[in-house]
Amino acid sequence: MARISPSPRLGLLNRKRKDTLFAILLLLPTVYVLCKVFIYPIYQSAVWSLFKYNLTEPGDVRFIGWGNYLELLKNHDFWVSIDRTFYFTILSVAAELVLGFFSALLLNQSFKGRTFFRGSIIVPWALLTLVNGLMWNWIYQPGNGALSQLLHRAHLLAPDQNPVWLGNSDSIMNFVILADVWKTTPFMTLLLLAGMQHIPGSLYEAAAMDGAGFWKKLKHVTIPQLMPSVIVAVVLRLINAIRVYDILTVFTGDPTTSVSYLTFNNAFRYFYLGRSSAMAWLTTLFIILLIVVYMILLRRNSDTD
Amino acid sequence: MSNTTLRRGIGRRLFRAKPTELIPPFYLWIGLALLCVFTLAPFANLVLSSLMEKQELLSGHLFPKKFTLINYRQLFGGPGALDFVSAIRNSVVVAAVTTAFTILIGVFASYALARIKFRFRSTALFAILAMQLLPTISIVVPLYMMMRDGVTVGIPFTDIVWFRTPPLLNTVWALIVSYITFSLPFAVWMMTGYFKNVPKEMEEAAFVDGSGRFRTMFTIVFPLAMPGIAATSIFTFLTAWDEFMFASSFTQTYASKTLPIAVSEFVGKHSLDWGLMTAAGFIASLPPVLISLFLYRYIVGGLTAGGVKG
Repeated sequence: MARISPSPRLGLLNRKRKDTLFAILLLLPTVYVLCKVFIYPIYQSAVWSLFKYNLTEPGDVRFIGWGNYLELLKNHDFWVSIDRTFYFTILSVAAELVLGFFSALLLNQSFKGRTFFRGSIIVPWALLTLVNGLMWNWIYQPGNGALSQLLHRAHLLAPDQNPVWLGNSDSIMNFVILADVWKTTPFMTLLLLAGMQHIPGSLYEAAAMDGAGFWKKLKHVTIPQLMPSVIVAVVLRLINAIRVYDILTVFTGDPTTSVSYLTFNNAFRYFYLGRSSAMAWLTTLFIILLIVVYMILLRRNSDTD
Repeated sequence: MSNTTLRRGIGRRLFRAKPTELIPPFYLWIGLALLCVFTLAPFANLVLSSLMEKQELLSGHLFPKKFTLINYRQLFGGPGALDFVSAIRNSVVVAAVTTAFTILIGVFASYALARIKFRFRSTALFAILAMQLLPTISIVVPLYMMMRDGVTVGIPFTDIVWFRTPPLLNTVWALIVSYITFSLPFAVWMMTGYFKNVPKEMEEAAFVDGSGRFRTMFTIVFPLAMPGIAATSIFTFLTAWDEFMFASSFTQTYASKTLPIAVSEFVGKHSLDWGLMTAAGFIASLPPVLISLFLYRYIVGGLTAGGVKG
């Protein structure tokens, strides 16, 4: 060795300090940008949520404490939108889970043309969210839309019947769910498929030796083995389904169909910045709760690996 | 072999699954057929509708009697053509600049988070993941005010400002700045995962040869993680291409409208032209669909790496 540092311990310490300095340097641009465009805005909206702050009345901005939040708890529209958001979230994620699970089962087998089938399911996922909404809106058109046409041709709908599918906000939710399930099931399928590929075929072989058929193999091998992936995929989907907004704007002008929609309308139609910030913060807090659950699950999964 | 045993043999093969698998071939193919119809029929309806004339669409045909490109011709040559083309240009510019900026600064942060041990590292990672999963609605209102007043560069949480941009509403810059709010946390989270997978030994060998951290970062870690960086870029591009809430709140003019906004306006208050809408929707979706099909491996790898928004 050409040079010996005074004490090896000190050299290590020096290197550690240099590393930390280097890390700070590398992180600085990202941290600055995120502080600027994320942390500061979200802090600002927390502050505004405690103010009466309407852009249309710039002279009357004042601190009202929890006033916006208390008003929301008494607001009928807000509760309706919460109801519908949960209805949408739970039903669409449940349907995606069931469909995604069975699709993944199919695509996990070996058969001719598997690449084609695996590739084709990515098409809905890749479609623009807005285009997906418009496409289904076109399918649901009374009279000349594909849904009415198919039902008429299959004689499931009498020729003189011509229902308006998107008639009221409650039935709209069901049609929105179908459209959303179509688009996001592939995401679920691909996540579950990745989990299934880790299940060794020998487990099925052993089950088959014990005389297990399809349902028994499913119950005793697939489901227990797949549980960690299922839970992670479901929580991730819940976090994303609960923010539903884009697709609703295509189907209806009624903002009470989701909390995000109502928040958006309060902000950009009426310019109630204080109240919409309070609504946004309630959503944010709820999603942070889900994120914490997600983090715990991720950590547990990586521990068992 | 008699006829009955042969038939029984075929029956057994059709209705019994291989021991290492679950589903017998007969049910497998029924399932695959259903899956294929469910996935492709709505999309086929979109494509076929875009190839029909108005009269056919209004009379409710599912298959065109006569294929026509009139909707596409009108889209690129009709009265609204300039607006549509400018929407394509805006989408490309916004998605490309967002991706370039995100990767350029995110790649360094990811290296630090994946490779250097320092205090608060896991807290930082948690914050990144949380920011990535939080919805747009959490920050859209303050960002709107920021775009209205112009973005300042200074020290956050203080009044120190070095310079201030002009108001950004109705410019592509408003979208680029706001898209960074979700693309940067996402890209950092994803690339950190990829960088962690680069074997440590390679880097340590370079350290022994006297190469410093800065050099090994460029010569060893980045090249080895290139597929991951590419996958992250693709995802960033696709999410920016798809974004709607920021675009609809920050842009009112064709100077900055992106494709999702332009397409939605074909079926708005002023017109109800399903032929044009389906054609425009098909054109707008073509890049993400083609990218996903050709780069299928990257997309699936990225999706399963975790944290991608559904």
